[in-house]
Amino acid sequence: MHSGVSIPITLIPGNSIIHRANPLSKMIWVVGYLILAFFTRNPLVLGVLTIIGLLLVQVAHIWRGFLLVLRVLLPIGLMLIVLQSIAPAFPRPWFTVVKLVGGLAIYREGIYSGLSLLLRITSVTTIAMLLIQTTHPSDLFTSLQKIGMPYVLNFIFTMTLQLIPILQQEFGIVLNAQKSRGLKGTGFGAVLPSMVPVFVGAIERVQQLSISLESRAFGSQGIKTSYRDVAVTPKDYVIGALGAIFTIAGAVWIGFNASALDWSRTLVVSPIVALILVLGSFLGFFIFIAVVVRAILQA
Amino acid sequence: MATPILKVENLQHVYPGGVVALRDVNLEIKPAEIIGVIGQNGSGKTTLVKHFNNLLKPTSGKVYFNGTDTAPLTIQQMAKNVGYVYQNPNQQLFARTVQEELEFGPRNLGVSEEEIQERCEAAVEFFGLQDLREKHPYRIGFPLRKLVGMASIYTMRPAVFILDEPTTGQDNVTTQTVYRLIHRLRDEGATVICVAHDMILLAEVVDRLVVLRDSLVIADGLPREVFANHTLLSSSHLIPPQITELSLRMRTDKDASSQIYLSVDEYVNAVKKSRMK
Repeated sequence: MHSGVSIPITLIPGNSIIHRANPLSKMIWVVGYLILAFFTRNPLVLGVLTIIGLLLVQVAHIWRGFLLVLRVLLPIGLMLIVLQSIAPAFPRPWFTVVKLVGGLAIYREGIYSGLSLLLRITSVTTIAMLLIQTTHPSDLFTSLQKIGMPYVLNFIFTMTLQLIPILQQEFGIVLNAQKSRGLKGTGFGAVLPSMVPVFVGAIERVQQLSISLESRAFGSQGIKTSYRDVAVTPKDYVIGALGAIFTIAGAVWIGFNASALDWSRTLVVSPIVALILVLGSFLGFFIFIAVVVRAILQA
Repeated sequence: MATPILKVENLQHVYPGGVVALRDVNLEIKPAEIIGVIGQNGSGKTTLVKHFNNLLKPTSGKVYFNGTDTAPLTIQQMAKNVGYVYQNPNQQLFARTVQEELEFGPRNLGVSEEEIQERCEAAVEFFGLQDLREKHPYRIGFPLRKLVGMASIYTMRPAVFILDEPTTGQDNVTTQTVYRLIHRLRDEGATVICVAHDMILLAEVVDRLVVLRDSLVIADGLPREVFANHTLLSSSHLIPPQITELSLRMRTDKDASSQIYLSVDEYVNAVKKSRMK
């Protein structure tokens, strides 16, 4: 069954330097990004992190999968700008940039907070996608096991990842079965007749899997070996070390310049720019919702 | 000749990604015929029958139902003409009771409530589901669940039934029931298309066999003729029923015209007759 739908959280095959790098080296970068992104709210720093991430996406040639993810995340991020601008997650007093109708207004702290949240999302997503879309899941889990991740936990993750495409395929088959019984394949009414068989099937599948696993002595003691072996080359140490240095240096720099990097009270936004930003974000989110609703209605 | 109920002209289907599943298939199916579609896994059987109810649209070529081109119709519109019974009833059934399951199809077609109840009565009668009406479809045994799957299509009163592997997972008794039901469907005027690997079903129940190999129809004829063609069968790794195989091997060059037997009954009768001579 060719469904034509693909989930973007799987490997996009390639042979770039990022594809070939050791999963653990890449993990160091991801963890580093997470630390830095949550260390600061400065839009410029987060913007730079995003741009570095985008450059790496270019190096890995995974634009298609990356944009698929961004297509969903970006509108949500844009909505954050709108929400934060009119109700910032900041202690009062707020500085009013533009007064809208009634008690509504766009606040400087809100724009600052919205921008940092959006850029936090984009920077972290970029690097996380980079890891996931350039690494074979088995390689990732084999590497994690090497540094002491329990086998059972590893196994659970692997199986869960494998189940997603199977369920997706199953959903296609069931939807076709219901369509051939005259079901209009749209709206909420279409969901129930298709979801019940998929879930019942999934539960049965899991039950059978557990039986077949136990019959093959799953859970027995001893050292587990893996079919896939992940080699560690000097290059991987370099990549990992660079990631660690980048993170520590970044964190120290952010720590020493904390007050200078806090633009929440100093960010100068002209009313026009603020209006364009907020309305543009709202429009972006609205277009996204419209497109999604249309796609669902046409299904 | 009567208008064929289904007609396929130069049908070709290429899946996204360039896999050619069917190339240049031509087929005519008459009303009230029982057709068996056979071939190895991946030969294009399922792809072919999915075109009959518009689950798949031809890459090129045409499919006609009762003389009308099906291309502009949706799956939902075709559902009242061609019913597709899935191999695995679990992929089809979802309701809380068998009764609801039977009502689902005709309700989608916009049939009146009175008529729906009438059809459900008829279906319960036809498939012998009297005791199961209020049961949960997942709580009844697999063979019966499969019958419920068939019954849920039966209430839609399609002119053509597509049965995907109707006898897999069935024991001897329920298999015989399925054979009888297929004949009764035909007696009620329906066309039945069986996609199957069950050679006994194909030999004893079916009027006509369509053999697919590598996305082409390589044979189309009476089961007796198709099973007699040994080269053809072995080229697509199909083995006829043992009794047919036996009668084929017992044939000598001298009496090449002698019968090929499709069932044990046929064989026994023939032997008895020859003894009486």
